[in-house]
Amino acid sequence: MRSRFVEENNPGSEMDALLLRSLQGYVRDTFGLSVWQAICRPGNLSVQTYEPMLRYDPGTADTVAQRAADVLGRQVETVWEDMGTYLVTNPGHEGVRRLLRFGGVSFADFLHSLEEMPGRARLALPDLDLPEITLNELGPDLFDIRCRSRVKGMTRVLVGMLTAMADDYGSLCLIESEEAESIRVRVMENSHGTARRFDLAMPDR
Amino acid sequence: MVTPQTVCALPIDGLARLMPMHLLLDRDERVVSVGPTLARVLAQMPEHFEVIGARFQDLFEVRSPGGVTHAAEVLARAGNRFRLVPRTGTRAGLRGLGTWLADDGQMLLNLSFGIDLITSVREFALTDADFAATELAMELLYLAEANAAVTRELRGLNLRLEGARLAAEEEAMTDPLTGLRNRRAADSVLERMCANGVPFALLHLDLDYFKAVNDTLGHAAGDQVLENVGRILQEHVRAEDCAARIGGDEFVVIVADRTDPKVLQVIAERIIARVSEPLAFQGTECRVSASVGIVRSVDMVRPDPVRLLAAADRALYAAKHAGRSQAVLLLLPES
Repeated sequence: MRSRFVEENNPGSEMDALLLRSLQGYVRDTFGLSVWQAICRPGNLSVQTYEPMLRYDPGTADTVAQRAADVLGRQVETVWEDMGTYLVTNPGHEGVRRLLRFGGVSFADFLHSLEEMPGRARLALPDLDLPEITLNELGPDLFDIRCRSRVKGMTRVLVGMLTAMADDYGSLCLIESEEAESIRVRVMENSHGTARRFDLAMPDR
Repeated sequence: MVTPQTVCALPIDGLARLMPMHLLLDRDERVVSVGPTLARVLAQMPEHFEVIGARFQDLFEVRSPGGVTHAAEVLARAGNRFRLVPRTGTRAGLRGLGTWLADDGQMLLNLSFGIDLITSVREFALTDADFAATELAMELLYLAEANAAVTRELRGLNLRLEGARLAAEEEAMTDPLTGLRNRRAADSVLERMCANGVPFALLHLDLDYFKAVNDTLGHAAGDQVLENVGRILQEHVRAEDCAARIGGDEFVVIVADRTDPKVLQVIAERIIARVSEPLAFQGTECRVSASVGIVRSVDMVRPDPVRLLAAADRALYAAKHAGRSQAVLLLLPES
């Protein structure tokens, strides 16, 4: 088994590992294993299975996402966005949705908790280089989110996740990213649809 | 004990919001007010039980400090930290602190789930609204789930790595053509059996006329012969035995717990008979046979793999010399 993960003590990236694993899950669940293999096959991608608990060279996630975009014939931004949505909505990743829902009882509450997200994540994974997120409330229902990360696709992943979370809270929103590292969220209606249920108690596995 | 100075008078709904798990008792230790979250916990008291006006000792068993039943004693003995269990049949304990209020001897206790938070959330179906914003309850629940997720991922990683390790190990021990064990695997089995001191026999098998098949019909025919021998040997070994291809047309079979010369001779002859059956290759018949040298671990004082293999080789040489398609058992390999 050949792996190009970076070994312990090396300054590899845990964030890249988590994104690669998510990307792999998204592509395999949505387009099938053969598409994922096509993405990994050519060039220098010697790995076909990415492990979320290992570390990979910084930048690997952006490289693989670009390969995925080429193979799927889409913009890399779209790939990242769809992956973000997949992470929140896929039943196999229910844990992600749950962890995000701990952010607050309403979508606005949740948006305000975004700034705490890196701190929360570090409780479980102390070395995780999560993006730096700042939230500015421009108006009563208008937010500007800045997302600074070493990973180029990060802002788009966040856009995808926010879109899915708005839905989860039953809130109608306009979420756009016009420029890199910036997201504009306009909450049109707070209880547009039915929010998905959220029990504080951990579901049995 | 009376506080010297009263700072503020708190409306009861403000008290409920600041301390959703408070218990306000009058001087007779009867409940004056109960926080909404604590009320949910006490809702599991027997039916028609009225919490407001109930006595402290009927609601709670004091676990710490020990030997105490009254709230006043709790405050006097424990200073500001105590542990209670509601008399509702729940397993979850409550941690708390308390104080006397000014003038009228009222006592205010503030309780918390402590480390039983996670089970309590489930048991009482608590929500975000049941906790004061200052509490770290959400963070603790979040952390527990994040930890569980990380542990699950690590367990998954370990399983995948273990699977890959086993596959790699299997691959490193297997002869790809015949599916038998390889030389390395045979060496380690011999090593282990010698070290364990269990009696066993070693059959060293070499094909006769194999070179002729290779030369006249080509390597594909030779490979087919080898694969066939692989199948035959596989059929003749039990789980505790080991059949391996250790060279071009050389094989060993390690037979555990068999030392009777007659039995070993029968096993070898049966293998030879099967190997000698003609094999069809692209319309042509290819014929090989086999010679077998047999040694037994019990014939050596301190058997070791190197000497056993050397002795088996001598037995094989004797078999070849005796006219091929023979099995020769060397009873005293080192005499």
